[in-house]
Amino acid sequence: MLSYIVRRLLLMFPTLIGVTVIVFSVMAFAPGGIGAALRSAEGNMRAEDRKKVEAYLNKRYGLDKPKVVQYFRWLNQVSPIGFKKDEEGNAAGFGFKPPDLGESFLRRQPVIRVIAEALPPTLFLNLLSIPIVYGIAILSGIYAARYRGRTFDVTTGSLFLGLWSIPTMWSGVMMVGFLSSVDYLHWFPTGGMHDTLSAYMRFLPSFAADGFHRGWLLDSIWHLLLPVTCLSIGSFAFLSKLMRSSVLENLQADFARTARAKGVSDQNVLLRHVLSNSIIPLITVAATILPGLLGGSVIVESIFSINGMGKLMIDAIYTRDQELVMSETLVVGIVSLFSLLLADILYALADPRVSYE
Amino acid sequence: MSSASINSSAGSLADAPAHVEKRRGWLASVVHHALSRWGTRLSLAWIGLVAFCAVFAPFLANSFPLLVKIDGHWSSPAMTHLTAVDVTLVIAVFSSIVILNFKGLSRLAQAGIFLVILLATLTIAHFVIKPPLVRGYEEYRELKQEGRVQAMLPAPIPYSPSDHLKDQFDFTHPQPWAPSGSHLFGTEQNGEDVLSVMIYACRIAMSIGFISTGIAVFIGIIVGGFMGYFVGWVDLLGMRLVEVFGAIPTIYLLLAFCAAFERDIYMVMAIIGLTGWTSDARFVRAEFLRLRGQDFVHAAIAAGLPLRSVLFRHLLPNALAPILVSASFGVAAAILSESVLSFLGLGLPVDAASWGRLLNQSVGQGGGFHLWLAMYPGLAIFLTVFSYNVIGESLRDALDPRLNPQ
Repeated sequence: MLSYIVRRLLLMFPTLIGVTVIVFSVMAFAPGGIGAALRSAEGNMRAEDRKKVEAYLNKRYGLDKPKVVQYFRWLNQVSPIGFKKDEEGNAAGFGFKPPDLGESFLRRQPVIRVIAEALPPTLFLNLLSIPIVYGIAILSGIYAARYRGRTFDVTTGSLFLGLWSIPTMWSGVMMVGFLSSVDYLHWFPTGGMHDTLSAYMRFLPSFAADGFHRGWLLDSIWHLLLPVTCLSIGSFAFLSKLMRSSVLENLQADFARTARAKGVSDQNVLLRHVLSNSIIPLITVAATILPGLLGGSVIVESIFSINGMGKLMIDAIYTRDQELVMSETLVVGIVSLFSLLLADILYALADPRVSYE
Repeated sequence: MSSASINSSAGSLADAPAHVEKRRGWLASVVHHALSRWGTRLSLAWIGLVAFCAVFAPFLANSFPLLVKIDGHWSSPAMTHLTAVDVTLVIAVFSSIVILNFKGLSRLAQAGIFLVILLATLTIAHFVIKPPLVRGYEEYRELKQEGRVQAMLPAPIPYSPSDHLKDQFDFTHPQPWAPSGSHLFGTEQNGEDVLSVMIYACRIAMSIGFISTGIAVFIGIIVGGFMGYFVGWVDLLGMRLVEVFGAIPTIYLLLAFCAAFERDIYMVMAIIGLTGWTSDARFVRAEFLRLRGQDFVHAAIAAGLPLRSVLFRHLLPNALAPILVSASFGVAAAILSESVLSFLGLGLPVDAASWGRLLNQSVGQGGGFHLWLAMYPGLAIFLTVFSYNVIGESLRDALDPRLNPQ
């Protein structure tokens, strides 16, 4: 097992390098080259910052050098392992160092700090939707397979294909419009993950002299219900269909027939024997679900004004903060790569038939 | 169609005993099987409607009347304001109908003739048709109010998408206006009629869907074909490339491209195509891997045919059906990508007629909600994406031998 994980980690390196190449070349082959976007944002900057931008661009990328050299220079700075440099810019050994994702001139702080603030809300949203998506998919998939051809199977089959096709932005806009807008129901807040006063709330709901306080937990649920629904609505359709066909296949397998033949009840055949085998394909397709969820949160965050990676990305594009756009694409790519790695390891753990030696 | 296909017409024999004597190729039988579902037919009908709106947009929604009699003279302002693209689209549709009715020609010849006609029309129209640069959309409304118009045949929706209703400007009743008798789907922020914008937006949806999927399928066939045929290190390298593009969430990749490159429709098409080819490549690779060991491929290689011929004349036609599935989902994804980009305000130029841009305006800054700006464009995006997904799904089911016993 350990050797598999190590091998898988080593295989990840070329992919990681590939991600950096793509991110860099998108920026480098844009009209005007790597500094163009940053220079065009100078109108929004203070005078002293503009001079700094020029000096910064030359120091970071070496714009007079060929593109390949620029790439390696940039790669060395963003990677946590590389050539260290002292104050004068001379090489000072090779080893671990803090990754330098650049400087956001418009926000006047290092990109890495901006991203460190934006990453938790996005991860939180995704980690919250994954169990919901998988839970619904597994339950409905089993049910549809067990009662194959009945009403539930047929309705969920077409209903989920419909839900899958609903654009996230449409469901988001309709939810905000109907359930949050002051013109209509106004049941939910229009944006954010917490109330502005949530830091002062107790954790659990409580009654006090001045009435009911909803507390931090309830407040968060109240704020997050719509975004999480919106994010997960499209994903379970595909998984549920997969679960259904996988359960059907396993119910007809030899081991299920053997179990029935030795007198195991139908329910136990399904729950003890078939279920654990049927979940395996769901873990394999995590590779396509996870990047999709991360991408979907861009739209959800911008509709529900949650200050996560997606909203940051859009703000960065509007303000032409190129360093931020570049680093953010890189960070999201890395996050998604690591989640794929996790899915692969889970797959190896879940399926003892697979041998990686 | 595919001459080398082994299991030709097998799928259609099982479920259509009436057509036993008619033998079909594999691809044709798959298409026939998919078409036998009513869901697929409904989806095709919706896509047909969208295509119709895209082609005949200037005759459906136009501020200039189709026919008008002013001071005793008949004229057609709608015709004089047609652009080269409008004319080309209409001619392309009619010429394709005529070409399809010539039975003697092979499909390839038909496609070739159609392309030649299309390019010739586009070139000629580009030089010949010079619509007036200044468009006074309110001209005929004002003429009518002055009473100089004796007779008029307006377009079914008498507003152009970039008609900002300057003559109806009203301080007390700011835009957007809710749906009413004169604006069935209401208007948007700048006073453009929503229904008319939606009709013109069909053009962007259709063209983005097909062209960017075309680009994606083209890249996918080249990369996937080489991977599947050569195996070995080419496969390893190609799979890494597919993995890299698959790892970065598509929307972040799209946004990064949009941040770096200028925004016009061709760029958006290219960007969506460049980011969406990975699933096509996977499909083509799997098919080529399956086929490369078969006898007809060995025969082709043994006959000394060049690589080009082996790959694209012998292998590719047998891999077309799975590509069709992948392309169908690809069109849905491309339309969705475009509307997401327009929704975020980062895709097409701000004056382009797009469903996503209308959706973007539905939630106002002050928390107001314009239902008509969310409902109709959203429904259009949903129905189009849903239709392509249904078609893709039924094509996939038709391909699946387990669902389709032979």
